[in-house]
Amino acid sequence: MSANLNAARVTAPGSNLAVVMRRVLTDGAGVVAILYVVLFALYALWDRSALTASGVTNLSNNAAPLALAAAGESLVVISKGFDLSVSGVVSLSNVLMATYPLEGPGGALVSLMICLAVGGAIGAINGVLVAILRLQSIAATLGTMIMCQGLALVIMDAPGGTVADWVSYTLTDVIFGVIPISGLIVLAVIALWLVFRRTDTCIALFAVGADETAASLSGISVVRARVTAFVGAGLLYGLAGFMLSAQTATGNPTAGTPFLMLTFAAVALGGVSLTGGRGSLVGAVIGAATLMLLQKVLFSGGVSSFYTGIFQGAVMVLAIVFGSLILRLASTGARA
Amino acid sequence: MSGAACALDVRSVSKSYGATVALQDVSIELHAGEVHALLGENGAGKSTLVKILNGVVRPNVGTLRMGGEPYEPHSIVEARRRGVATAFQELSLVPNLTVAQNLSLPRQAKGSFGLVSGAATQKQGAAILNRFGLPLSSSAVVANLTLAERQRLEITRAFACNPKVLILDEPTAALAETEWLFGLVRQATAAGAAVLYISHRLAEVRELCQRATVLRNGRSIGTVGLQEVTDQNIFEMMVGRSQAEEMQRRATAGASTRPAVLEAETLVGGSLKNVSLKLREGEILGVAGLEGQGQRALFRALVGLAPLNSGSVKVDGAPVRLSGPDVALKTGRGIAFLPEERKTEGIFPALATATNIVLPVVGRIGRAGLVSERLERDAAAGSSSEVDLSPRYLDFRIGDLSGGNQQKALLARAMQTGARILLLYDPTRGVDVGTKQSIYAAIRSFAGSGGAVLLYSSELPELVRLVDRCLVVYGGRIFAELSGADINERTLVAALTGHAAHEPAA
Repeated sequence: MSANLNAARVTAPGSNLAVVMRRVLTDGAGVVAILYVVLFALYALWDRSALTASGVTNLSNNAAPLALAAAGESLVVISKGFDLSVSGVVSLSNVLMATYPLEGPGGALVSLMICLAVGGAIGAINGVLVAILRLQSIAATLGTMIMCQGLALVIMDAPGGTVADWVSYTLTDVIFGVIPISGLIVLAVIALWLVFRRTDTCIALFAVGADETAASLSGISVVRARVTAFVGAGLLYGLAGFMLSAQTATGNPTAGTPFLMLTFAAVALGGVSLTGGRGSLVGAVIGAATLMLLQKVLFSGGVSSFYTGIFQGAVMVLAIVFGSLILRLASTGARA
Repeated sequence: MSGAACALDVRSVSKSYGATVALQDVSIELHAGEVHALLGENGAGKSTLVKILNGVVRPNVGTLRMGGEPYEPHSIVEARRRGVATAFQELSLVPNLTVAQNLSLPRQAKGSFGLVSGAATQKQGAAILNRFGLPLSSSAVVANLTLAERQRLEITRAFACNPKVLILDEPTAALAETEWLFGLVRQATAAGAAVLYISHRLAEVRELCQRATVLRNGRSIGTVGLQEVTDQNIFEMMVGRSQAEEMQRRATAGASTRPAVLEAETLVGGSLKNVSLKLREGEILGVAGLEGQGQRALFRALVGLAPLNSGSVKVDGAPVRLSGPDVALKTGRGIAFLPEERKTEGIFPALATATNIVLPVVGRIGRAGLVSERLERDAAAGSSSEVDLSPRYLDFRIGDLSGGNQQKALLARAMQTGARILLLYDPTRGVDVGTKQSIYAAIRSFAGSGGAVLLYSSELPELVRLVDRCLVVYGGRIFAELSGADINERTLVAALTGHAAHEPAA
């Protein structure tokens, strides 16, 4: 309208390269992707087998369960919540797979359905508790996590059992001689995410994560967004449990326990803001892959496995510090 | 006017939250094509009414009708579908989304396969921006906009729904000039929309509106034609006759000769660009400013809660380093701070009111280092009477008290500390008129007994009636200092906004 109405604030586009660079670096996923590439180069330098098909398959099989769990967690974290039920669902799916092995591709499909149903149901319970009954997400999901862990112990009181051979062989195998199936499954989840990104529900997820009141005053159904996040997360935890069973080929009622801390580490490392509203599922997946790769690098570098935790923690903190530093620089740059 | 079609008819609506009555028997009639003002003090029930009209909350009793049809919205989306759109006072924009995405919430424009199309959403957003004359980039992220830009966007979004009933809740709070908004409002009413206009700026209301409905303490006091009443009439309707008479400013004691107890020299840091002030004994020094002009940083810096890059603070003439509220309390004659967010920064909801009041001095009133409940209660009773807090509340958990009584208790706590300098940040925010009177009286008697008060208030009438001098902050600087007869609403508004008009476009 009037001339002094801040026409100057329309951001002047910089050069294309600078725009792309800024987007990569401020995306969160960008920083961790660069980190992954650096670590992989280091790994390949120390261990020539890293570049072989079996080396890549190994990495992929290793990282897939955590990557899927972190993918699920990122949905909840983006909508400003925490979901601790991840370890419970992973344990529960794992013992179900080992207690009731179903052979053949048909059996695998049924097993997958069971895992997804378990995860989806737990996610729905979490969603109702958090979105409708308005419990704090940490408290509610802590409850469902303990419940699932308990249930897993009832089904299988000590490590044992055998996962169906078809599952443990086929899902850890490669197709066309080079492409790991576990990697394809993670890619499929990423593809689904890229589609989901272009739905109103996903935009609602980000909106609710940033400012719940404003979102609801803008006509967004906060309840629906939250429930969607928890159910989606639960489904992915179920899938993570399924893939973990394929990898370990056996059952363990506490199989999911290490997932609790590592999923959050992966999510944070992947540039997903734990305060909600910022980040991407892809970042969380790469974050998980980076944590698992780091273990390999340290091992091949001759570092004792006792030190793994120290390095994982330090790398995570550094990556987050670096990421937020870049974000701050970029935002002051945009304002100046 | 009575012949005009009734766009929205609110009849005898009541709403209570537990024991707190927010609205009681409120009626209001909006005619198509009119701009209808809704007036009332903070806490008079305006925002509750807005929420009811939007379907955010449902009334306990009463009926709403639109164009003769029953109107019972259960959600914002339904309200919008029925033709009611609102620009909210607290701004309902989602900060991490772009301008265009915000404009098309909750449903974005779709491309192929029913998926959201960023390009189509942006194009649609740009068209809306263009139609309402808003020079923003539709791809800008809302978090990077200035407050004024966000306010304009909020208004634009409401207009873009082409509503039959448009609610504007304090739409000019962050706007320096009203021409743009008033132009849009006149276009909308000419096209037959009804506008409910909520503002505390009477001059604006008179310029734009034909009729006004006044709320006080949750009741509708009456609807008047604005041509037929004076400002004084409206004022009396808003606050009640007896209190309107009491609204005279207190006589300024020749305070300018008293010694300065708190001096700040060229404070710089955070949102403070350069602030100096001098608070004298027995003085109530007011601070006025639009939202986010550095007043919060100033208060927090004076008790060491916000870092300073440079500048110095003197208490009783001696330079001091204030590193936190505990240090401030022990410095010189003592500085006590009453923060704005009583829920998060002030009270301990699970503790008794008496405990809350004596908390800062709990070590002083114990016996042999042990806390005694009886001594605690006695001490609390002393200061609670100063703020007119009934002693029967002292044993209740403070979380169960009304907001007004919580605020009285917090003021009592500040006085209980024995500090002779009080920093009060919006002490009457969200409290009812009766509590305000008690708080005003307590502040006056504190100053009358030689205490010094620095008072920020978001309500200008409050500053007008309470303070001896008034500083106007803008952009982290002291923009004006008013004293004596210059402290009136008109001069204050001019100072608050006159400066804003010169804001460089950057």
